[in-house]
This record gives sequence, C-alpha cells and structure tokens, in this order.
Amino acid sequence: MTQLHYRFPPASAYALNRWLFRLKSDAAARDQYLRDPDVAMQEAGLSNDEQKALRAGDRDALVGLGAHPYLVFMVELRLRMERGTASFEYF
Amino acid sequence: MLVGAFACAHTPQLLIRPETEDRELVLRVHAALGRVKQRLTALRPDVIAIVAGDHVEGFFLDAVPALGVYVGADCAGTFGPYRYRFPIHEPVARAVVEQGIERGFDLLYTQERALDYAFFVPLHFTMPAPPVPIVPLHVNVYLPPQPTPARCYQWGQALGEILGARPERVVLMASGGMSHFPGTDRYASPDFEFDRRMLETLAQGEGRELAKITGDELDKTGNVELRTWITVLGAAGPARANLYCYEPSWHHGNAVVEWLL
Repeated sequence: MTQLHYRFPPASAYALNRWLFRLKSDAAARDQYLRDPDVAMQEAGLSNDEQKALRAGDRDALVGLGAHPYLVFMVELRLRMERGTASFEYF
Repeated sequence: MLVGAFACAHTPQLLIRPETEDRELVLRVHAALGRVKQRLTALRPDVIAIVAGDHVEGFFLDAVPALGVYVGADCAGTFGPYRYRFPIHEPVARAVVEQGIERGFDLLYTQERALDYAFFVPLHFTMPAPPVPIVPLHVNVYLPPQPTPARCYQWGQALGEILGARPERVVLMASGGMSHFPGTDRYASPDFEFDRRMLETLAQGEGRELAKITGDELDKTGNVELRTWITVLGAAGPARANLYCYEPSWHHGNAVVEWLL
C-alpha cells in the first residue's frame, strides 16, 4: 500500500501543526505573522527547518516535517487572501 | 420523520472564487444547489440535520472526536469575510445525542465549538426562507484514524431511526465530496472515474455498497469526505439518488444529489 495522503500527525510536529492551525483560523496570529514572521514563528516554538519551510511556502517540506496537508493548503489560501495577492469573487 | 436526504459539495471556491476557477462551472454548481433550495422549500422541513467533516476548525489535535453533535442554543463560525450563526433545534439535537448513546455510539457533544465552513457553504446556498434551525453532526474525516465507512453507515442507520421517530419534519444533508486532495501533490489530479462509479451505484439505490469501502480506499481516491455521504446513506437505505450535478473542476469533483425517499 502506498502511503496515505492524510496520515496520523506525529507528536513531533505538534508545535508546527498548532501554529498552522492558528494561522488558518486566528486573524490575530495571521496579522502577527505577516508583520514579523521570524518573531511569530520563534514564539510558536518552530524549529529552524520548520521556519524555513513555512517562510518558503514549501508544501512538500512542511508535509515531510509532519504538517497536516489540509492545514498547509488553507494557510496558503488565507495568507493569499490577507496579502491581497489574488482577487476573489464572493458569493 | 425524515422527509428528505441530500448531499452537497462545499468546496470554498464555490463561495470565494479565485481567478483559477472556471466561473461558468461554479455557476452551474450554484444552479444545482438552487434546485436543492427549491426542494427544501417544497419539503417544508422543521429542521435540517447536516452531516459535515470538520476541516480542523472546530476540532484540532488537542481533542479529536470521531462522531459528534452540536447541542447548544446556536452555533457560529467565520470563513474569510463571512460571519455565520445558525439556531440549533435543541429537542432534535438532544434526542440524537441521548438516543445515539443509548444505542451504543459514544458520541461527543458540544454546546460551544466553532462551526466549520463545511456546514456553512451548503446552507448558504440552500437554506429556505424563512430559515429553519439545524442540527450539526460532526464526522472526523481529516485526522486519522477516522471512523470506518462501515461505522459511518451504522451511525446513519441509527440516525435514520432516531430522526424517523421524531414528530418534526427532518431533512438530512451530507456536506462534502467528491474526489479532491487538498494540500497534497495530487491536488490537480482527482479520481473522477471513482466518483462516476460511485454515482452510478447510488443511482441504482445500492448505497449500502459504499459501507464496504475501506478507509484506505477513500484516502487513495481523494474521498475521505465521502464518510458524510455514507452516514446519510445509512438513513436513506435503498433510496435511489437523483443527480443534480457532477461538475469536475481541475481539482474537485463537485456533486449535488438528492435521494428519493
């Protein structure tokens, strides 16, 4: 059996997943991250590798570190909405 | 009594369309959801019980329930600029929890928890006027290990009996599906063939076949959210599915279905 797309999230990635969860769901966390990503990620307890992968928006690296793929996906979308780098039609 | 059963796609691109999405396709899915709204208006439900898979919004890794029921006075959430709040039909919600537990389903219940957009998107497009209260039913679809399809089907059978015995007119709605792989390297290549086979099975009234699918197969075909459909199928039994739309986008099999009870 090939590896599942959605796998049991390892405890080693809890801080990373918790930070992605906050970036997805908490406007204050997004504001903080967009203002000063380095401080925000340090306060969130992310490792150097995790910080590097998130800063680069490197999905494969993040998932390889144990990030939940859906969280990575929605964080990317929410940050794009926040940065105004894409236009959206609202229904 | 159970007066209707539906399944609706809930992809956020139906609500907030980026430039990457085909506008005509989105509008065709909206039209199918509009037909559901017309049907709901005709069915005059007292309550909509909606089965949805949380996108790690209400439930994070600090506590991961398999199956749950929202039983507060109301429930609310946000998605982008949208702020939504729905009254909960407390007598039906409470009956589902009490009788569900009595029947051996160890349910979570919550009186205060964020409501995921998976609940909001279908209701945004299908809620009849005047609006009716809801009963949000949570199924864990994204945080492994998820409940098995067989267990979801059993839960749906129990739901069908519990809701069927109520005096209120209840519509059961599944939110989610079909094939998509958000956040993975397969995002741009869903398994539309699997979807079409499933829809054929459902059109023939053989929804119980979906209870035999394994969790691994759902993952492999981008259909972890089909657990919400399988739950509703437990209640719909051998009813045949009427397909309102199947619109495959570059990343998602958008389906809207009614089961003819």
